[in-house]
Amino acid sequence: MTDIFSGRRVLIVEDESLVAMLLETILADLGCDVVGPESNIEDGLNVASGTAPLDAALLDVNVAGQEIFPVAEALKARGVPFVFSTGYGEAGLPEHWRGNPTVQKPFTEGAIRDALMTALNMQRA
Amino acid sequence: MLKTLAKTIDLVAAFDASPNPYMLLDRDLRFAGMNQAYLDVTLRRREELIGVHVMDVFGAAPQGPSHDASQRLETSFKKVLETGEADHLALLHYPIRTRSPHGEAVFDDRYWSCTHTPIKNDHDEVTHILQHTSDVTELVKARTSDEAPRDALEQMLGGGVFRRAMEVEADNQRLEAERRQLSDVLLNAPGFVAVLNGPDHVIQFCNEACYRLVNHRDILGQTVKQALPELGEQGHLDFLNDVYETGEPVMGRQRAFSLQHSPDGPADNRYIDFAYQPIRDENARVIGVFVQGHDVTDVVMAAERQKLMIDELNHRVKNTLATVQSIAMQTARTHQDPRSFAEAFEARLMALSHTHDLLTKSHWEGADLRSVLEHETRAHGAGRLSLNGPLVALSPARALSLGMIFHELATNAAKYGALAHGDGRVTVDWRVTNHSSPQLEIIWSETAGQTVQKPERRGFGTRLIERNVRHDLRGAVDMSYTGHGLSARFTLPLETDA
Repeated sequence: MTDIFSGRRVLIVEDESLVAMLLETILADLGCDVVGPESNIEDGLNVASGTAPLDAALLDVNVAGQEIFPVAEALKARGVPFVFSTGYGEAGLPEHWRGNPTVQKPFTEGAIRDALMTALNMQRA
Repeated sequence: MLKTLAKTIDLVAAFDASPNPYMLLDRDLRFAGMNQAYLDVTLRRREELIGVHVMDVFGAAPQGPSHDASQRLETSFKKVLETGEADHLALLHYPIRTRSPHGEAVFDDRYWSCTHTPIKNDHDEVTHILQHTSDVTELVKARTSDEAPRDALEQMLGGGVFRRAMEVEADNQRLEAERRQLSDVLLNAPGFVAVLNGPDHVIQFCNEACYRLVNHRDILGQTVKQALPELGEQGHLDFLNDVYETGEPVMGRQRAFSLQHSPDGPADNRYIDFAYQPIRDENARVIGVFVQGHDVTDVVMAAERQKLMIDELNHRVKNTLATVQSIAMQTARTHQDPRSFAEAFEARLMALSHTHDLLTKSHWEGADLRSVLEHETRAHGAGRLSLNGPLVALSPARALSLGMIFHELATNAAKYGALAHGDGRVTVDWRVTNHSSPQLEIIWSETAGQTVQKPERRGFGTRLIERNVRHDLRGAVDMSYTGHGLSARFTLPLETDA
């Protein structure tokens, strides 16, 4: 596997444990260090607005019926790029967040890798 | 000119001397005056008519011979009062009551032709109606009697005139009936209908549905701006002005329409389909706006509900697909052989599906813990598992989590634990503790007939259980191997809905 993400610290916020495990596996395969996964907005917000170093984040848009956007705002304020994951794709996002890298569920490893590269402003291999 | 003439001759005397029958009614349809010719043809005396309501004299009993004619008379009078224009009854069959030479009451069959002309004051208001009546009985009888002489001139002139008069009258009656019918149709139409007059859109007509739409406000006779000021901000006044100025209709579909029940009351938000169309006079000049449309609030709401449901369905389906994807990927990592992968994957898929079945039965309200356990352990033989505990209602998300967890436990037991051998048993006990903030405690304990080995590595099943308990259920699990198999103790908060 590629190691372009080697050592990057990536936060996961996702309420479904099976989906979170899949993301963990994919990120681990990409060489990332997983932070979390956090299963609710409150815990996600604590990490996002905390001091622990973060390079990027993967955010489920609908976390147990709540929208992720407060977490996204906190990350943006810290300058941490992130990727949304949602069943609706980018079209399901409010106007304000369109254009942000987004993966649609169910996702492939390739889609996650490309979205993370876009978020991190990396050149595609 | 007439006023000058009135100075030189006595107009009243002239009126009375006319051979043509005339009578005058006031606005209440009471006799105000009549000439001698009128008294002669109607066989009445002046003193029995003056001040009396015309229908009290010429109104007829509903079943009487002149009932239809008297109704038409009354309709014609009212039309003159409403429109301020003359109305004609070309032919009226109206038998009048008289006395025979022997003093008995009899009906004399008569045909009349009447013109009703409005008399107006300086303010252009109708104050009286002048009726000019001709007794055309002889003409009609000549026309309809076979024996009557019919010369060429009579045939050409009298006959033709009479036929035309009959036709005109028939047309008039048909038009009047159509007007009434149309008005009834509009009044009771399911959609709202209104007629607005002039550049300020004075509301002249409003049907039942229209009153319902505006919450039964008294809007008749007012301008739209006065009666429904809120509509100005919603663009409707501009639409009406456009129609009036350009003569082009304006249509709208599913447009928000908000009215207040009272000036300070909350807004009632509705959706309407509407068409505003110009009404033109005979010179094609726009003189008003015809408003019609439907309240489509129910349709719009249903479409919104449907969109919400489809969004929710999409969310669930995509999440479920991601879950299945995860199961496939994780299962593939621990099963190199395609056949064993297929078996394990299928079993996990079926576990998920069983809980879905349970939830579908309750319309996704939730499921009982015992039912979830029974569903996931049934395949291993009902007699080998003992389930003991009270009724515990689980939310759909919790039911799905516990379904997966107990599927993994039962599968592990069947592979490595108590259910791997013929005489092993599993007991599941649960209880709800600490009722102020309820905790669900579940204890899974295996009793094998012989010693079992602890698996060497932590498989996907174990990871799934641990992750699920912590992540989805926000609880804790303590798993330990005894020589008889696995023992697991779950402590799950019941209040927080994960």
